[in-house]
Amino acid sequence: MAQKLKGVDVVLVGLGWTGGILAKELSEAGMKVVALERGAMRSTEKDFAVPMIRDELRYSARNDLMQNPAKDTLTIRNNPSQEALPMRRLGSFLPGEGVGGAGVHWNGHTWRWTDMEFKVRSLYEERYGKAYIPADMTIQDWGITYAELEPYYDRFEYTAGISGKAGNIRGKIQPGGSPFEAPRAREYPLPPLRSSLAGEMFAVAASANGYHPFPRPTANASRAYTNPDGARLGACQYCGFCERFGCEANAKGSPHITVIPIAMRNPNFELRTHAWVTKVLKDSGGKRVTGVTYTSVLNGEEYEQPAQLVILCAYAINNVHLMLLSGLGVPYDAVTQKGVIGKNYCYQTGAGATLFFEGRHFNPFMSTGGLSMVADDYNTNLDFDRGPHGFIGGYSLSGGMTGGRPISFRPLPSGTPQWGKAWKAATAQWYGSAMTISSSGSVMANRYNYYDLDPTYRNAFGQPLMRMTFDYKENEHRMSRHTAQAINEIAKSMNPTSLNPATARTDPWTVVPYQSTHNTGGTIMGVNPRTSAVNKYLQSWDYHNLFVMGASVFPHNSAYNPTGPVGALTYWTAEAIKKRYAKNPGPLVSA
Amino acid sequence: MTTRKVFFAAALAVIAHAASAQGDPKRGEKVFEECRACHAIEKGSNGVGPSLHGVIGRRAAELDDFRYSPAFKRANITWTRQNLDAFLADPQKLVPANRMPYAGMPEAKDRADVIEYMQRILK
Ligand SMILES: Cc1cc2nc3c(=O)[nH]c(=O)nc-3n(C[C@H](O)[C@H](O)[C@H](O)COP(=O)(O)OP(=O)(O)OC[C@H]3O[C@@H](n4cnc5c(N)ncnc54)[C@H](O)[C@@H]3O)c2cc1C
Ligand code: HEC
Repeated sequence: MAQKLKGVDVVLVGLGWTGGILAKELSEAGMKVVALERGAMRSTEKDFAVPMIRDELRYSARNDLMQNPAKDTLTIRNNPSQEALPMRRLGSFLPGEGVGGAGVHWNGHTWRWTDMEFKVRSLYEERYGKAYIPADMTIQDWGITYAELEPYYDRFEYTAGISGKAGNIRGKIQPGGSPFEAPRAREYPLPPLRSSLAGEMFAVAASANGYHPFPRPTANASRAYTNPDGARLGACQYCGFCERFGCEANAKGSPHITVIPIAMRNPNFELRTHAWVTKVLKDSGGKRVTGVTYTSVLNGEEYEQPAQLVILCAYAINNVHLMLLSGLGVPYDAVTQKGVIGKNYCYQTGAGATLFFEGRHFNPFMSTGGLSMVADDYNTNLDFDRGPHGFIGGYSLSGGMTGGRPISFRPLPSGTPQWGKAWKAATAQWYGSAMTISSSGSVMANRYNYYDLDPTYRNAFGQPLMRMTFDYKENEHRMSRHTAQAINEIAKSMNPTSLNPATARTDPWTVVPYQSTHNTGGTIMGVNPRTSAVNKYLQSWDYHNLFVMGASVFPHNSAYNPTGPVGALTYWTAEAIKKRYAKNPGPLVSA
Repeated sequence: MTTRKVFFAAALAVIAHAASAQGDPKRGEKVFEECRACHAIEKGSNGVGPSLHGVIGRRAAELDDFRYSPAFKRANITWTRQNLDAFLADPQKLVPANRMPYAGMPEAKDRADVIEYMQRILK
C-alpha cells in the first residue's frame, strides 16, 4: 500500500521549464508547492563542469542526460494497420530527465508563435475556402490570441535571456529583424550573437534571392545578463557543445539556473527527486483529482501525495501518458474520432543541404546552439500564397551550424567512401570547409496521428507503454518538396565546390536518426470540451483542479521550436491560478 | 579599415590607457557583472567558479572547498593586480588549460576598473 503523505496546495509532476516556472510563481504566491521529479538533482558546478561536460560519447551518443528507454519508452508505428514496436534506444527525439528537464540540454531557439497558428483553421478557411483543408486534417483554432500572450512571451524571453533582433516593435518594422514577426512590446533582452561565416554567407545569398534573413533568437546569452528575477547568466563562449549538453558557463537560459534556484530558496517549496509519478488520483465523484501516487526510484517505496491542485509538467509525451494511465478524460479513438486524450499528435518535417567550399574556413567548432541566420518568407509570411502549392503550414530556412563536434559532424560530399583512406582524407579536407542550409517545417494534425496505450508492452512499473502512431501525410510531402527546391536554389546560387542537395522528405517517418524533441499534442487546448482536453488556461475541462503544461496542449505543430509558447503559456496559466483560481476554485472557462 | 578609422582607434587607445592608471571602481562594479554568473563575493559561497572573497593578495587555487583544475593547482601565482590583469586579459595564457569558461577582457580600461573594484571589496 502506498504511504499517504500530508496534503499540500500544489503538486507539480516534473521539474523542467514548465514545472520550474510554476514552482517559483506559485510558491511566491504563498501556496505550499511540492515538485516530484523522477530524475536526479542537477547543477552547473557539479554536473556540467569542463572538461567532463565535453564528452560527446557520453552525453550525445549515449544520451546521458535523457530518459532511459530501458525503464520507460514508447511503442511506435506509422499507421493503425501496423503492430507497434518499442523504441529501445532513443533516436528521433530525446525526452529529458532530471531537475531542469530538457531545459538544461536544449539549444535555446526561442520563438513566438502567432495567430497564424492560433487561428489556423479559420485563417485557411477564410482565405482558401473550407474545401482546401483535407477531410482527415484535424486542425482547429487554439482559443487564444497572440495579443493575449504577448506580455507572457516577453516575460519568458526576459527570464531566459534571449539574444536576438526584434523585427517589429509595436507595429514598426525594425531593420535587421524579421519583417514577418508579430508586433512585440520591446527589443529582446540581449543583442544577437556574433555571426558566423556560414550564417553570413547564407544571409547574403538569401537576400540576393529575395528572402529576409535575420539572426535566430536564442537563449544563448550574447553577454553577461541578470534577469528580472535576479538570476545571473554568463556570456556564451561559443564552445559548440550546446544541444544535448549542460552549459558550463551558465550562458544558456535554463530552469536550473533561473526559476528553480529561486523556488528552492522559498520555504513554501519542496523538491523531491527520484520521485516517479505513476498515477493521478481522482475522487469518487469524478469531478476533482485528489493527488498523485509516486514511487521512489531509489528504494521502490510507493507514496500518495494528496494535493488541492495537480499540475502535469512532465513533458509533452509523459503528460499524455499519465492522463491515459490515470483514466482522465476520454481516450481518443481514430476510428470513431470520439474522445480527446491522445488526439492530434504532431511532429515536424524538414530538409537540408550541405555545401562544400574549397578554401573557405567555417570553423564549425566555434558555435553555439542558436548561431544561424533564418529566413521566414515561407513560414510566418502570411502573404506567401500556399494555394498553388497545395499545402497548409510553413517552414523556416536557416544557414549555419550549431556545432562541429568530432563524432557527429563529418560533412562529406556524396559518393565519398564510407571508410578507409579515402574517407579519412575527405574528412580532413572538408571538416572545416562545409556548411549547411537546413529547414524546419510544420506538421498539421491528422486523424490518424495520435497516442493511445499499447496493448502489449509495459514499462518498469508494469504499466502499459504509450503507443505513438505517426507519419507524414500528403500535406507535409508537398511542403517538403517545396522546401527542398527553395534550399537548392539558394545553395546553387552560392556556387559551392560541391553540393549535397536537399531532398524532399517523403519516406515514412522513423525513430532514427535524431530530428528534434518537438513533440506536440495529445492533451490539446481549445474552446470545446468535445474536441479539446484543456481550456485556454490549460485547465482540464473534466477536472477543474488539474492543469496540463507544455507542448501536449498544442493542437498542431508549427515550423518553430515549441518552448517560446510553452514558457509563455506557463506564465499565463500561473497568473490565472494566482489571480483567479486561488480565490475561487472552479472552471476558469465555462464549458 | 580606412586611415580615418585607424586614427580614431589609436586615439581611443591613448585615452583608455590614460584612464587605466587609476581604475574607476564604480564602473568596475558594472564590469564585474560579467563574473557574477560564476563567482560570488561572499565568503565560502562557491558557484561554477570559486568565491572571490579575499582574492586580492591570496595565492591562486587556495580554497579548500573548491575543486580547482590541475592547471590551477600547479599555477603557483599570487593574485597581485598585475597577475589579475594578465589573467583577465587572456585567462588561458597566464594559466594554460585552466577551466574557467571565460574568454577574457580585451579592454585595458575594463580590467583596470574591475580590478579597482575588486581591490576595494574583495580584500
Ligand atoms: C536536445 C534537445 C534540444 C532542444 N532544443 C530546443 C530549442 O532549441 N528550442 C525549443 O524551443 N525547444 C527545444 N527543445 C525542447 C525543450 O527542451 C522543451 O520544449 C522544454 O524543455 C519543455 O519543457 P517541459 O517543462 O514541458 O518539459 P521538460 O523540460 O522536459 O521537463 C519535464 C520533466 O518531467 C520529468 N518527468 C517526466 N515524467 C515524470 C513522471 N512520471 N514523474 C516525475 N517526473 C517526471 C522529467 O524527468 C523532466 O525533468 C529541445 C529538446 C531537446 C531534448
Ligand atoms: C562562466 C564561469 C566564469 C566566469 C564568467 C568567470 N569565471 Fe573566474 N573562474 C571560473 C572557474 C571555473 C574558475 C576555476 C578555474 C580552474 O580551476 O581551472 C575560476 C577562477 C578564477 C580565479 C582564480 C581564483 C582562485 O581562487 O585562485 C579568479 C581570480 C577569477 N576566476 C576571476 C574572474 C573574474 C574577475 C571574472 C569576470 C571578469 C571571472 N573570473 C569570470 C569561472 C568563471
